[in-house]
Amino acid sequence: MKSIEYLSDPLLSPLFWPGVLAGLAMALIAAGLSVFVVVKRLSFIGQGISHAAFGGVGLAAILGVTARVTQAGLEAAPFHGIPQFLVIAGFCLAAGLLVGLIADKDATREDAAIGIILVASMAVGGILLRKAKTGLEWESFLFGTLYQVPPADAVMTWVLAGAVLLVLWATRRSMTFWAFDETASPAFGVSPRAMKLILLTLLSISTVAAMKLAGVVLATAILVLPGAIALQLSTRLYAVFALSFASALLGVLVGIVLSFELDWSPGPAIVVVLTSLFVMAKVVRAVRGRQGTHGTA
Amino acid sequence: MPDAISYDNVSFAYATRATRAGAPKALERVSLTVREGERLGILGPNGGGKSTLLKLTLGLLPEQTGSIQVFGMSPATARAKRLIGYVPQRVDAELSFPLSGRQVVQLGAGVANKPWQRLSLEQREDVHQALVTAGAQSFAERHVGAMSGGQLQRILIARALACRPKLLLLDEPTVGIDPAGQQQFAELLRTIVQERSLTVVVVSHDLRAIAAGCDRVACLSRTLHAHTAPEGLTPAVLAEVFKHDVAAIFGELHVDAHKASSCEDPSHHHGHHPGKPTGGAT
Repeated sequence: MKSIEYLSDPLLSPLFWPGVLAGLAMALIAAGLSVFVVVKRLSFIGQGISHAAFGGVGLAAILGVTARVTQAGLEAAPFHGIPQFLVIAGFCLAAGLLVGLIADKDATREDAAIGIILVASMAVGGILLRKAKTGLEWESFLFGTLYQVPPADAVMTWVLAGAVLLVLWATRRSMTFWAFDETASPAFGVSPRAMKLILLTLLSISTVAAMKLAGVVLATAILVLPGAIALQLSTRLYAVFALSFASALLGVLVGIVLSFELDWSPGPAIVVVLTSLFVMAKVVRAVRGRQGTHGTA
Repeated sequence: MPDAISYDNVSFAYATRATRAGAPKALERVSLTVREGERLGILGPNGGGKSTLLKLTLGLLPEQTGSIQVFGMSPATARAKRLIGYVPQRVDAELSFPLSGRQVVQLGAGVANKPWQRLSLEQREDVHQALVTAGAQSFAERHVGAMSGGQLQRILIARALACRPKLLLLDEPTVGIDPAGQQQFAELLRTIVQERSLTVVVVSHDLRAIAAGCDRVACLSRTLHAHTAPEGLTPAVLAEVFKHDVAAIFGELHVDAHKASSCEDPSHHHGHHPGKPTGGAT
């Protein structure tokens, strides 16, 4: 197996372990966030945010906080350094909040706002990235670069996972209340605006982390699919979060192994696994539903 | 005994372009007193200012002119002290969210807890009692998405009761509930008031929701038109409150109106005949 070979070979393992570790942290983030993202129907906003990240990448490049391509491939890793992370996260957050703000004023314009911000950010990113002449490949941003994740980035992803889970834990009651019953939440002292702001912020910074693995195009898939899978399989709160974590973990691990074995890009591999899990979950649900109507239940 | 709510000459206008250009306010000069232990129904057409009045009572909108006192406090203070329980329209809840009925009620009890505080024993007891009072115990462990409209409503009532409020506000409680459920709802209101010595305010555009469960009815269409016992709701009064709406709703209402008022005066029929199918009366 190439996977075992890559991860145990003393020469190759430093190339691969940080990516694998970052992937595991990502599974934790996705497990917590995705349930709320699915229930609150924020996946399209998430899609907008992740595409906005490409604009952030361009901005980071033109500001000179992006690594440049040199003879040694490793230094060319497009995602490293805290400054770059901050620029991209800031860009994503601004885009997310802009959409949130527009949607808050007029829900019918949300859809258009996301569409516009999505393409505008891609365009700006494309222009800036070209202008910055970093020599970075587009594809690495679009589909992820698991093999070039520097150890510092893996550490940062874990710190991020800790922060996201801490915030979710601290706001769990108000977040759940809001997710279940937005209209009634002000009467119970829960501000819908604050909750949406918190969730969009978490989504924005998590998207930047997800980009390392899956790239701009597929980042949201990781932040949506685990929750969507879990919600197909259970209606129990703790079971849903456990299933969400299990499927995120399975998606990331199997995806990474597939990408090693078959030489696929890691992002598409992870998304293919998660999508297959989703289809299986749908089938399980359909079969259960049929048993429910014909059987004893 | 102090009043539960007193509205003193309350007006409210939303800051929209239309209002600035002189369109009518959402509420105008509403004065009304709700006594403790009373079940008051506020009946009015859609867009008649019912939701605005509810939001003002919860302290979610600032008072513009006039004043509102809830148990002698500002509405926001009363809400912060958890004296007000609120039951929203059930149609707004996100039923795909993985929560059991009991978990929903627990959220009502513990939503203001600090993150590190678990639900206290007392709060758990409150949740249990709220489920018992609302008659929701038998299906409390079921997923909210698998409940009937009436069952979910009981869960939402239990959620409001779980923080031991002194005032219960219900927004359009009969929307999406079948006639049998509506009858049970009226009985439930009676039980709650007896068991908890609560003050109840029901807001609805549906006469049946209000006539069955309330001691007194106020008719609200921008301003208060009448407040009376449910029997006093003659077609004339209703026609005044609902004006243009009346043709649209009378198809449902006329049976109840017949029952409710035996002292119907034919001269007060503003272009509608309760016995006939409605349409075109506007």
